[in-house]
Amino acid sequence: MKMHRKTLVAALATTVLGVAAGPTMGSDTNGDSPLGDGPIRLVIPFGPGGGSDMTARVLTATAPEFCGPRIDVVSMSGAAGLEAVNHVMNAESDGHTLLVTDYGPIVTSGFVDDVEWSHDDWDPVMLFTEWLPTVYTHADHEIDSIEDWVDKLEAEPNSVTFAHAAPLGIVHLPLILFEMETGLENRHIPTSGGGETRSMVMGEHVDLGMTLPASIAAEVENGTLKALGTFADERADVLPDVPTFKEAGYDVSLPAWLMIFAKNDVPQETKEFLQDCFMEALATPTAESMSDRTNAGIDPRGMEDSAELYHNTVEMVGSILREIGEID
Amino acid sequence: MLEALTDALSLALDPSVLLFVALGILLGITLGAIPGLSGDMAIALLLPTVFYLEPASALGLLVGIYKGGMFGGSISGITFGVPGTPGAAATTIDGYQAKLKGKPNRALHTALYSSVAGDTSSDLILIFIALPLAAVALKFGPVEFFALYAFSLLLISALTRGQLAKGVAACALGILLSMIGRDPIGGSLRMTFGIPELAGGLSLIPVLVGIFAVSELIVQVSKAWAAKSRAIVEDAKEKSNMFSDYDAAADKLPFRDFLKLWKATAIGTGTGTLIGALPGAGSSLAAFISYGLAQRFSRSGDEFGKGSMEGVASAEAGNSATSGSTLIPLFAFGIPGSATAALFGAAFILMGMTPGPNMVRDHSDVIYALFIILVYANMVNLLMGKVLLPYYSKMSMVQPRILLPIVFCLAIFGTYAAGNSFVDVWVLLGAGLLGVVLRLYGFPLAPLILGFIVGPGAERALRQSLLIGGEWSYLFSSPIAIGFYVTALGLILLFTLLLRNKA
Repeated sequence: MKMHRKTLVAALATTVLGVAAGPTMGSDTNGDSPLGDGPIRLVIPFGPGGGSDMTARVLTATAPEFCGPRIDVVSMSGAAGLEAVNHVMNAESDGHTLLVTDYGPIVTSGFVDDVEWSHDDWDPVMLFTEWLPTVYTHADHEIDSIEDWVDKLEAEPNSVTFAHAAPLGIVHLPLILFEMETGLENRHIPTSGGGETRSMVMGEHVDLGMTLPASIAAEVENGTLKALGTFADERADVLPDVPTFKEAGYDVSLPAWLMIFAKNDVPQETKEFLQDCFMEALATPTAESMSDRTNAGIDPRGMEDSAELYHNTVEMVGSILREIGEID
Repeated sequence: MLEALTDALSLALDPSVLLFVALGILLGITLGAIPGLSGDMAIALLLPTVFYLEPASALGLLVGIYKGGMFGGSISGITFGVPGTPGAAATTIDGYQAKLKGKPNRALHTALYSSVAGDTSSDLILIFIALPLAAVALKFGPVEFFALYAFSLLLISALTRGQLAKGVAACALGILLSMIGRDPIGGSLRMTFGIPELAGGLSLIPVLVGIFAVSELIVQVSKAWAAKSRAIVEDAKEKSNMFSDYDAAADKLPFRDFLKLWKATAIGTGTGTLIGALPGAGSSLAAFISYGLAQRFSRSGDEFGKGSMEGVASAEAGNSATSGSTLIPLFAFGIPGSATAALFGAAFILMGMTPGPNMVRDHSDVIYALFIILVYANMVNLLMGKVLLPYYSKMSMVQPRILLPIVFCLAIFGTYAAGNSFVDVWVLLGAGLLGVVLRLYGFPLAPLILGFIVGPGAERALRQSLLIGGEWSYLFSSPIAIGFYVTALGLILLFTLLLRNKA
C-alpha cells in the first residue's frame, strides 16, 4: 500500500487548501451552462458527517465535470435546520444555492414553524434516495414480529416503550401514522438521535426503536438486533428478509426521501440543467462506487417524479399533523 | 493475529502516514488554539480526503487533528483565558490564573504532559479492554445518566469554595439558557420570545467563547479607558511591566515537578476514560468532574481556582482521556458516543467499513494500524508541543491591548465558521455582556458553562426516565444510579465535616 510521491504531494496540497479555503477543485465552465462562474452551494440543514452530508459530497466529487463550477457542501444546522432553509430561500435565484434535505426541515417545518415561505415556494431538482424507516429491537426481546407487537399492545395498551429521534421527524411520524391506522398506543421516548436510540435499545432500556436500514443492517445480519418491519411499499435492499408493514396488512408507508431543492423562481432552464448534470454525475462509476462505499443507496430520480413525491408527502404529513392536533 | 499485526505495523509506520500524523497534529493544535474552531470542525472539513488518501494515511491525519485539537484548546485557555474548545473550559480555570501569576510555561507544560498521559492511557484501554467497558456503558440508560448528571452538577456547583450559593445560581442560569429552543420531548418552542432564529437553541461555542473571551475583552477595554480618563498613566505602566518583565527562564516545569502531580493526573485519566466511554457524556463533562474530584482529594484544594497546577493537570487529563474511550461504543456496537466518534464513524463508512464489532474482524490490518497510530500520535503530540510551547508562552505575554483585539477577531471568525451562522455571532456578543455582568457581581463562570453543557442531557434523561417508568421512584430503580446518589451525598457529608474540623 505504498503511496506514490505525486499522489502524496497532491493529497497534502488538497489537505492544506481544504482547511484554508474549502474544496477548491474546479473545472472549465460548461459552454452551454446557464450558470455563472461562482460555486454551487449545496446547503444541508444538519451537522457534518451524517447521511445527508456524505450523500451530498458524492456530487462535490463528481458533478463539477458536468455542471461547470465547483460544488461546495455547506452545513448549517442552526435553528433546528431552519437557518439553512431560510438561507437558501433568501439567496439569489440563480441556481447557485440549493437545499439538500429530507422532509423534516422543509415539509414538517413548513407546517409547524413560523416561516415566511410556503411549500409551493420550493421545487425539487432531483431525488438522491429514499430511506425506509424501520422498527427494530434487541435480539433477546420477546417481540419478534409486527404481529407480536400488535398482540402485546392489544393485551396491555401503552405497555411498549418506543424510542425515536426528533419528535415529528422522519423516524417518528411513521409511528404516529401506524397508531392512527391501528388505534394502538405506545409510550413514545424521544431521543437526541439515532445513536442514543440504539444505545437505549441495545442496553434494553426501551422495547423498540426506529431508524434507517443502513445503520442497523450489519447488526441484523449478525443477530444482535432484530428488525420487525419497514414503513415502505417495498422491502429495503439491505434488509431483504424484513417485511414491510403493508405485507403485514397495515397500509402505512412513509419513506423519507433525500432531495435537492431550488426556489421556485429559479429559471426552469437552470433547474433542468442542474438536474441533467447531477444525474449524469451520479451515473458515473466513481459516484456509484462512492455510493456503495458509504451505503448511501443512491438511486436518483428526476424533477417530475421528485415533485410528485414531494407533493404527496406534503399532503400526507399535513393530514397526520392535523389529525394529532399539531396544526388546524 | 501476528500476521495482521505485522501488516498493521508496516501500514502505520509508513513515512507518509507519519507525515500525515504530524501534519494533522500541527493543524489540530493550531485550530484548537483558535477560540471557536475545534479539531472536530477540521475533521469534518477534511472528511472528503478519505476518498483520496490511503486508509492509514487518512486515519493518521484525522487522529492527528483530533489529538492536536484536544491539547490545542488548552493553549488559548491558559494564555488568553479563552478555552479554544469546550473540553478546555475546566483547564482554563486554573491555567489562566497561573498565567496571570507569570507561569504560563509551567501551566502549558502541565497541560501537555497530563494531556498526553491521559490520552495514552485511554488509548490503551480502548485497545485492550474496550469490550468489557462497552458492556458497562450500555448499562447506562436514562435513569443512570440522570444520576450521573445530578452527581456532576452537585460536585461542580460547589467548585468555588465559599461561594456555594453563587456557584449554584450560575449553574442554574446555565441550565436555563440551555433550555431555550425546542422542547426535546414535546417538540414545541420555548423561551424563544418569537425569535425564529432561537428555535435550535443557543449553540455551545458562542456561549462559551462569549462568556469567557468577550467578557474578558470588555473588562480589559473598560479598564484601559478608565485608566486613560483618570490619566493614571503610572498604573497602566505598572501593569504593562508585569508583561515586559516576564522571565521565561524562571517559568519552567521540570519533569520531576510534573510527576508530583500524579494523583491529579490519575484522577483525570480514570474519570475521563470512564466518562468518555459513555455515549453522549462528552469531554467537557469529564474535565469538570475530574477537576471537581481532584480538588476534593487534594491536600491543597484551597489552591484550586488560583493557578493550581493540580487543577490544570486533572482537567486536562480528564479532557484528553476521553479521546480513546469515546471510540469504544463505536467499535463495540457501532454507536457514535460523541460528535468526534460520529465523524470517525463517517470516515470508516467512507472507507467502506461499517463501524461495529465486525469492523475489527473484517479489517484487522487497518484497525490495528489505527491502534498503533493512536498510541504513537501521542508521542508526536508531545514532541510538537515541546517545540511549540515556548513560543506560545512568550506570545501569551504580549500586551493585552495588542493581543485582545486579535483574539476578539479570531473568536468572531471562529464562531461564525463553526456554524455558518450570524445568529451565533450575536449570541457571542450577548454572552459577552452577560459574562461582564456576572464578573461584576462576582459569580464564577465555570459552573454556568457546566450547567449549559449538562442541562440538555440532564433534562432529557429525567423526562425519558419519567416517560419509561411513569413515576419518580423509577429514578431509584437502578443500582448504578443509587451508587451515584450515595457517593454524592457521601462526598458532601465528608467535605462538610472536613471543612468544619478545619474551621
